[in-house]
Amino acid sequence: MVLAELVQYVATGLLVGGVYALMSIGLALIFGVMRVVNFAQGDFMMLGMYLTYFYAMSGSVDPLLGAILTIPPFFALGWAVHRGLLARVTGGGDPQRQMDAQLILTLGLSLVITNATTMILSPTPLGIRTAYATQAFALGPVLLNQARSYAFAMALLLAAAVYVFLTRTDLGKALRASADDPEAASYQGIDVRAMHGLAFGTGIALVAAAGGLLATYYPIEPTVAGNFIVLMFVAVVLGGLGSIPGAFVGGLVIGLVQSLTLLVLPFQLQNTGVFIVFLLVLYLRPQGLFGRRARTV
Amino acid sequence: MASRGRGWLAIVAVVAVGVALTLLVQERYHHRVLTLVFLWAAMGLAWNIISGYAGQISFGHQVFFGIGAYVTVLLVVKAGLTPWIGMGVAVAVAVLAAVLIGMPTFRLAGIYFGLATLAYPLIFRIVMDWLGYQEVAIPMKREQPGWFMQFNEPRSFDLLALGVLAATLVLSRVIETSRLGYRLRAIKENEQAAEAMGVDSFRCKMAAYMLSAAPAAVVGAVYIHAILFIVTPEAVFGLLVISQTLVVCLVGGSGTLWGPLVGAALMVPVSEILDTTVGDRLPGIQGVVYGAALMLIMLGAPEGLYWRVRHAFRARGGGEATRLAIVAPPAEDGAAAVPTETVLLEVRGVSKAFIGLQALSDISFDVREREILGVIGPNGAGKTTLFNVLNGFLVPDRGEVRFLGQAVTGLRPSALCRRGIGRTFQVPRTFQHLTVLENVMVGAFVRVGPVHVAASTARSALAKVGLADRADALPTGLTTLDLRLMELARCLATAPRLVLLDEPLAGLSGDGVAVMISVIRGVRTRGVTVVIIEHTMQALLRLADRLIVLDQGRRLAAGAPGQVTQDPAVIEAYLGKRWLARMAAR
Amino acid sequence: MLTIAGLAVSYQGLHALAEVSLEVGDGEFVTIVGPNGAGKTTLLKAISGTAPAEAGRVAYRGRDLGALRPSERAALGIAHVPEGRRVFPSLTVMENLELGSYRRAARAGRAQALDEVLGLFPILRERHRQLAGSLSGGEQQMLALGRGLMARPDLLLLDEPSQGLGPRIVEQIFETVDRIRRERRLTILLVEQRVVEALELCDHGYVLETGRVVLAGRREALLADARVQRAYLGA
Repeated sequence: MVLAELVQYVATGLLVGGVYALMSIGLALIFGVMRVVNFAQGDFMMLGMYLTYFYAMSGSVDPLLGAILTIPPFFALGWAVHRGLLARVTGGGDPQRQMDAQLILTLGLSLVITNATTMILSPTPLGIRTAYATQAFALGPVLLNQARSYAFAMALLLAAAVYVFLTRTDLGKALRASADDPEAASYQGIDVRAMHGLAFGTGIALVAAAGGLLATYYPIEPTVAGNFIVLMFVAVVLGGLGSIPGAFVGGLVIGLVQSLTLLVLPFQLQNTGVFIVFLLVLYLRPQGLFGRRARTV
Repeated sequence: MASRGRGWLAIVAVVAVGVALTLLVQERYHHRVLTLVFLWAAMGLAWNIISGYAGQISFGHQVFFGIGAYVTVLLVVKAGLTPWIGMGVAVAVAVLAAVLIGMPTFRLAGIYFGLATLAYPLIFRIVMDWLGYQEVAIPMKREQPGWFMQFNEPRSFDLLALGVLAATLVLSRVIETSRLGYRLRAIKENEQAAEAMGVDSFRCKMAAYMLSAAPAAVVGAVYIHAILFIVTPEAVFGLLVISQTLVVCLVGGSGTLWGPLVGAALMVPVSEILDTTVGDRLPGIQGVVYGAALMLIMLGAPEGLYWRVRHAFRARGGGEATRLAIVAPPAEDGAAAVPTETVLLEVRGVSKAFIGLQALSDISFDVREREILGVIGPNGAGKTTLFNVLNGFLVPDRGEVRFLGQAVTGLRPSALCRRGIGRTFQVPRTFQHLTVLENVMVGAFVRVGPVHVAASTARSALAKVGLADRADALPTGLTTLDLRLMELARCLATAPRLVLLDEPLAGLSGDGVAVMISVIRGVRTRGVTVVIIEHTMQALLRLADRLIVLDQGRRLAAGAPGQVTQDPAVIEAYLGKRWLARMAAR
Repeated sequence: MLTIAGLAVSYQGLHALAEVSLEVGDGEFVTIVGPNGAGKTTLLKAISGTAPAEAGRVAYRGRDLGALRPSERAALGIAHVPEGRRVFPSLTVMENLELGSYRRAARAGRAQALDEVLGLFPILRERHRQLAGSLSGGEQQMLALGRGLMARPDLLLLDEPSQGLGPRIVEQIFETVDRIRRERRLTILLVEQRVVEALELCDHGYVLETGRVVLAGRREALLADARVQRAYLGA
């Protein structure tokens, strides 16, 4: 195996990992603030892909821009879903019951979204045609697909924006405080329920944008969620449940693992490495790389 | 629970109804629906054993379903083995898989357990793909159709599925009414309290997991032969299988036999009919229906329809005014009410630190038989930490604990309970959905096996605390005093030599305090040693023979109550040096 | 400013307070002492809204707080410095302080408030970039106190600031509390186990035992009353 080949796989893995990182940040934010494992995260991503497609077809909007444009409507959608659904499921006050109940709720939501989309839209995969999807940058011996590169850059930009939001704005700090200690946060005048809505809305918006970026090189179909939800979960657990920088790093690592697995296994088995990592993390270091001991465990 | 005979009768009735339907239904398609109802009810019941009774929500139970399908079919294909025997092999493989999966996974707490269970079916899908078994079709066996489960008559499949359902019903019922069943429900309600009552939760969960894997494998095997005929990884390890299982159990109600029956009878026909009628125009309608059902049930009736209806009919117990029945303790004849010289518990040099906090430093003391020892100290002194060490919830960093002369440092709470150390909690940890009697029975099961013996042990424990007339009430209707008495009875049912009572008087009114004190005295008179943490000082002074004072993790003083409360060091610890100076100056 | 009448609160299913009534006047410093489990922390939680009242009334500036959520009560100018400090461990010292002035009325004066608080607690200025979770107990207490002051509160609720801290730090904390009381127009409700230091600061005080007020009086009266000891040690 030539070194150049290895570097190629690593490079591709990182590029793809950047988009995974963006997806995972959304999931981590939701879990960190709300202690909810959002099973429907992949489905919102799928809807984001379709919206981006819609922007591209009807307004000739480049999907990189279209991805950004998914943010406002999906934020609103996320807020509404929290208000209408998640906020009403409390599991009777017991934190473990609540987590289980909300996982089942989001599982149901995932089923509805995926299958309703299959019903309404055609299951035929769609694709967005861009000039750069089939071209590549040459960095020495390594070829970097242009679509993936732009998606990677955009993902980093958005992640940076999230970082700035969380560390420089009052609202972002209030979100982090609500994740740390909801009771103490309420003493500062922070409306923790509104923070939950904010976290969910942001988490959904981020994953929808990630979907838009993904759409620059990945086919769009109703069942696409299933391919990515596991990757997101593993990335978040690897980074440490509730840690946003952890989820970012986790996403990159998962991209790498997936890519490097292809060195030894065929395409259908590309997630094998990911599952092995998942089990290793759960059994050897459940709190992940950056996680604290979860509050309720 | 009291109506055990009625439960079995109901099962027979259900099976009879099933047979009747089998005979009455005519259309081939309706038979298919009937078969599916039976099979999914059985699958729901299987899931219910681990996730409903034991409360360990598994999102990967389809692993066993898939194992059942694959093993049985592969044995037909490769070895020409009849599925009637192949099923047995599949069950063995499934149970083995349950052990292998369960052992590492049950050590994970909370949400990590659920997440791990998600991974396994995905792994199996990949493995099957890799082994080349993307599509394994059952070969036609025209010569011996019955021997190979390839019936021509749809009624045969109905009866087969009904048989599986009946067997699973019987299995569930046996578990429900056995010691394991009580213990599983205790684990579900409050695992820590269950451990303190002698329940080895890991072993119980493993047992339940293995018992839940077997019927799931059988369902998978029959499903392939009756419905699908071709095994693919997606079909048997996929999301739709677990979704269907969840829907059946959650819509119907988990933790009961009848829930999955209700859920299957309701949801399966609905989704099948929708699939047949509009499934072509609206592919995925089943998924939408199931997803919507899960969401609606979580929003509206998370406990399930069966429980919702049953609670609406059941009269709420309790809500009466505080009962002031003072329990007449046994006559405090001199010998029984006085501590002996025998040392029951020795604590030597116990230290425990948490991050940034030395909770206990070099604690040493003895507890003598039949004494009532009070542990007091200002806030943050380490009293509850001490109890957690004595009870097995925490392992000390240094030091040793000896009980009845044997080293017990670091043993699990359930092991300590079996050796004779009992515990009640600062905030009563009740098993909410079990009756008072059933709560106490969980404690009794440490010493006895059969349910009826446990019931009578429990009743006598309840009589000792004066709660005999509340045996069939649910904890939600009880007053604080009754809850504490119930917790004490539950602890007494474990036949302890020594009990650790953590703030038993907290939250009680004056009358309640009097009742509690007399009950605790009664406990001692019956030969049980009492160690008690309390802040309600005036009451404790009446109760305790000796006091031990902790402050900032260290032992500050020990001795008779009158002496300790006048000890300047103790006064200083509670009220500060300057208060002491002020009082001394007067 | 604060009137509590006939308050009864259950916490985790247990009766924590039964029939508590007290008054805190504008600009006053009121101390509540009592042993562990007396309900002191629950009382403060009932005021700031995290423990719902079963019976009775909590009125702030004449207004019944009953229907208001904790964040709404904080917005009215009630700052609660909770037991055990409860700083936000993954945020920096500076971020913790900034969040103290989250409520709208306090945001405008944030810069000035920050200056004052850092002047009061110079150690925080030194450590302003550090994560709050890595501070020592005493530093965290100062941070929690500073965070409470950032809200420019009208009513400051202090829950056992001395808990778990060594004697020298405790002295420092009480000195600072005294200084705060002298320099600002704050109404302070202090809950403490350390009787003398806490009572010396107050105008009047209450002694709680098993959820009830067993003694009440002006400062000097309580400081000389041996019955206070009985509440703690039963004799």
